[in-house]
Amino acid sequence: MSSKINRHHYHHRFNAQIFPPPCPHLAEFRARNGSKPFRALQDCLRAKSPGGRAAIRRDPSEVPRCGACGESARPRLYACVACAAISCHAPPGPSHAAVHATSMPPGHEIAVDVDRAELFCCACRDQIYDRDFDAAVVLSQITTLNSATIQSTKPENLRKRRRVDYRPWSPDLRDRVLMESGSSPLDYGSDMPRGLRGLNNLGNTCFMNSVLQALLHTPPLRNYFLSDRHNRYYCKQKNGVTNTNADGKRNACTGDGNGEKNARLCLACDMDAMFSAVFSGDRRPYSPAKFLYSWWQHASNLASYEQQDAHEFFISMLDGIHEKVEKDLRKPHNQGHGDCCIAHRVFSGILRSDVMCMACGFTSTTYDPCVDISLDLESHHGGSAKSASTKTHHSCNGEADSINSGQNCGISTLMGCLDRFTRPERLGADQKFFCQQCQVRQESLKQMSIRKLPLVSCFHIKRFEHSSIRKMSRKIDRYLQFPFSLDMTPYLSSSILRSRFGNRIFPFDGDEPDASNEMSSEFELFAVVTHTGKLDAGHYVTYLRLSNQWYKCDDAWVTQVNENIVRAAQGYMIFYVQKMFYYKPSENQVAS
Amino acid sequence: MTHKRASVKRPPTPVADQVHAHSSQQLTLQEIINIKLIESGEKERLKELLRERLIECGWRDEMKALCRAFTRRKGRNNVTVDDLVHVITPKGRASVPDSVKAELLQSIRSFLASAI
Repeated sequence: MSSKINRHHYHHRFNAQIFPPPCPHLAEFRARNGSKPFRALQDCLRAKSPGGRAAIRRDPSEVPRCGACGESARPRLYACVACAAISCHAPPGPSHAAVHATSMPPGHEIAVDVDRAELFCCACRDQIYDRDFDAAVVLSQITTLNSATIQSTKPENLRKRRRVDYRPWSPDLRDRVLMESGSSPLDYGSDMPRGLRGLNNLGNTCFMNSVLQALLHTPPLRNYFLSDRHNRYYCKQKNGVTNTNADGKRNACTGDGNGEKNARLCLACDMDAMFSAVFSGDRRPYSPAKFLYSWWQHASNLASYEQQDAHEFFISMLDGIHEKVEKDLRKPHNQGHGDCCIAHRVFSGILRSDVMCMACGFTSTTYDPCVDISLDLESHHGGSAKSASTKTHHSCNGEADSINSGQNCGISTLMGCLDRFTRPERLGADQKFFCQQCQVRQESLKQMSIRKLPLVSCFHIKRFEHSSIRKMSRKIDRYLQFPFSLDMTPYLSSSILRSRFGNRIFPFDGDEPDASNEMSSEFELFAVVTHTGKLDAGHYVTYLRLSNQWYKCDDAWVTQVNENIVRAAQGYMIFYVQKMFYYKPSENQVAS
Repeated sequence: MTHKRASVKRPPTPVADQVHAHSSQQLTLQEIINIKLIESGEKERLKELLRERLIECGWRDEMKALCRAFTRRKGRNNVTVDDLVHVITPKGRASVPDSVKAELLQSIRSFLASAI
C-alpha cells in the first residue's frame, strides 16, 4: 500500500526526462529508513580526481573484492547499503549480489556500485534511481571539489520568462471604426508573403542587405516594429526637444539628417522606417540608403564602399540600437538580462564558462552576455587519435569529432559544432590558468555552456580563419549541415553540469524541477545568411523561411526556392527562433 | 538502525589471514598483476586513458546509439542494464580500434617492466 503511494509520488519529471518509479525493494528500503535514507552515504563517497566521477571512498591501495568469491578483477562490484558487504555481479555468470540479497533478511537488496556510485537493486538485477541518493552523490562531489565556486557576475535576476496565455485578438466595433478611419488597408496583390521586398545593392552592400533581410523577418523584431513600439516620429519628438530649433521639421529622423549631429542618430528609427517601407505592399526593390548612412555614422571605421563582413555588421548594428537606448534611459542596464532594448531582448543570451583547476578542483564560474554564438568549423578531419589532452590549440580542436565520426562520416553538423563548443577543453601546459585557491597557474579544464537561451539564436560559423603561423587568412568552404529544427537542451548549463556529475537527478544551475524548460529550448530555423566566394571578394545571399516556404533574397531579387537548395547552401549566419505556437516560420502566421 | 548506518561508512577490509590464506594458495600471475595495477593506482590511470580514447574515436557514441536502438525496440520499461551490457558487449569488443588497443598494451607493458 505504502509502496504504491510512493511509486506515484516518485514518478516525477526532471529536465524533460521522466524517471521510472522505484522498484518495490527501493520503496521498502525508503519506508524503513526514514526521510533521508542515504544521508550517511555522503561521507562514504568521493570524486576520484578533480572533476572525476564519484566512487566509494577507499584507500588507494585497497583492493575491493567480492565477499563471496574473493574476485577483484570483476568489473562490477556492489556494496550493500545495509551491511557494506561487497559482492560481484557478472552476468551471465553467477551473481553474488543477487545471492547476498536473497540470503540475508529483507533490506539487503539495495547496493551501490563501488566504482561508479550508482544504485543497483540486487533483487531486480537492475539499475535504480533515487533523488536523495543522487543528491548525496552530488554533494559529496561538490565538497571534494572545495566548492568555493566564485561567481563573478552571477546574473541575479534569473526569473523565467513569464508565460502569458495567448489570446487571439480581433477588433470590436469601436476598434474597427478607429482603424478604418485612421488607416487604409495595405494592398498585397500577389500571393507572396508580406514583407518580401528586395533591397538594392548600394555598392558592395550585400553584407548589409543579407543581414537586414534576416532581421526584417525575425518574428519578435518584426512584431515589435510593426506594432509601433518604436515610432520614429515620436522618438524624434521626444529626443528632439533638447537640441532642435523650433521649426518642427517633421521627419528629421527619416529625412535628411544634415542638420542633426550624432545625437540625433537612431538606428532603431531607421529600422522602423525600413519596416514600414518593406511591409507597405510595394514590391519594387527598396534602397536602405538612409540606414546605411546612419550606420556609417555609428561605425565610422567601416564607412566605405568596400566589402564588409556580414557578422561584423550584425554585431555593430545591434550595438548601435542598444547604445541609443542606453543613452536615452541613462539607466544602468545589465545587457544579459535583455530588457534594455529590443536588440538585446531578442538576441541576447547568457553564456556560462567554468574553469576548473586540475590540481585542486577549484572552479571559477563566469557569466557573459552574448548576442550570438560563434562556432568553429573544424579545419581538418579525422584528426590524430593522440593527445587531446596536450594539444588544445584552440584553432585545431577539430581532432576526433566524437559525434560525427561515428555515424555520418565526414559531414560537419551544427550539432557537432555545438557539441565541440560545450565540450570540456583542457588548458594544458602552454595555457595554464591562474587558480585562486592554489595561487599559482595550474592546468585546468574549461567548459562553456548556455545559461540562458535568447529568443532568437544567431549562430555565426567561423569560416574566415586567420593563421598566425602562416601569417595569412583563408576562407573555409566546408559544408555544414544544419537542421530545420534544433533542440538546445543538451547545451544548456543545467544539462552540461548534470552530465559532469554523471547525470544525477539533482537541480543544476537554473533548472527548476517543474519549469517547462523543454518548451523553450526548441528552436526553428527561419533565416540563413550564406556566403559564396573568397575571403576578400564574395557575395552574401539570404534564404528566408516564410509560411513554410523558402525564398532566396539576393539583393534586389527575391525568388522562391526549394528547401533542398537551402540545405545545400554554405551557411555563414544561421538564425533560429524559439518555437512558440504563434511564431512558427513553418506555418502561415497571417491567419486572415 | 543507527548501528547499521555506522557500518555503512566504509566497506569492510577483508580479514588479514583470509587474504593470506587465499594468496598463498593459488594466486595466478594474472591476479597478481591485477592487484599490482590496482594498488599502484595504475589501473585507474589506464581506465581513464581508455575512456578518453574511446570517447575520442566515437566508440562511446556508437555504443550509445546501439543502446538507444535496443531500448526503442524493446520498450523503455522492459530493458535492464544487464540486457544492454549483453547486447553491446560483442559489438563493443569488436569495434575498439586497433590503435587504441596497441596504445593500451604498450602502457601495460611499460608498467610491468617498471614494476618487476
